[in-house]
Amino acid sequence: MAQKSVWSDNRFWRRSATWVTGVASVLLIWLTFDTMGQISMGTDADLKNGVTKRVPAPTVINYKVDYVFDSRRGHEVPKIGPEKEKFFGKFWSEEEAAALLHKGKLASQAKNCMDCHTLLGNGAYFAPDLTKAWLDPAWQDGGTMQAMTGKNSKEEAMVAFLMNPDQYPTHERMMPNLGITHDEAVALVAFLKHMASIDTNGFPRNFGRMQGAVHGK
Amino acid sequence: MFEPFVDVNPSFFGWLNQGPLTLTIFLHTLVVLPMIFIYYQEKKRLENEK
Repeated sequence: MAQKSVWSDNRFWRRSATWVTGVASVLLIWLTFDTMGQISMGTDADLKNGVTKRVPAPTVINYKVDYVFDSRRGHEVPKIGPEKEKFFGKFWSEEEAAALLHKGKLASQAKNCMDCHTLLGNGAYFAPDLTKAWLDPAWQDGGTMQAMTGKNSKEEAMVAFLMNPDQYPTHERMMPNLGITHDEAVALVAFLKHMASIDTNGFPRNFGRMQGAVHGK
Repeated sequence: MFEPFVDVNPSFFGWLNQGPLTLTIFLHTLVVLPMIFIYYQEKKRLENEK
């Protein structure tokens, strides 16, 4: 009788499959818990003490958020503070900021921003990527959006645009009027500012070096 | 092949993702080497059964 090959032996495949499935399960469960730590929100105290969290506390809306190239990591990273800046003319408490951000998230879901825009890698590329929209120079002081909306702060200009996007010729595919109320627009701007302060490992890639974006030339 | 760890939060999975081959080498060590071991064990068992 010819010698039985290991390759046609059921036991070899069964043991291999058991091993691979087991290793993959352990890795995926471990990865899940690791990710939960990575994406958990920081606290107000972290912001005050300069602790770097991937997702900062809602009170990040009280800080100046910049986007600077980190040569060690090879891409741009959000720089939060230490300068504070008023958001809609005031500093928000922890509770107020958390409530505002929650409302902004709900509004972004209710108005289905992701139908056209991309948020943190999810959504569509029919309209501009909103992950770092807060840092877009078009909205800064002296940028086109403040002149177009007749407002003199970034957040007020964003609110004016969000409430009547169909009035401003911004894009070939103009944003339709979604019936966003003033309160919803304020919350959405907070949501966008918080999102821009999230460390996304440089996503969207090369945003900071794009023509006209942040510090690009 | 191995690049310095530069991620914002230290993590084992972050370390695995630092270089192009780090994940590959890790998974091969964990998956393929034991399979080679299982192969020779089963081969020996079949030879003994004969």
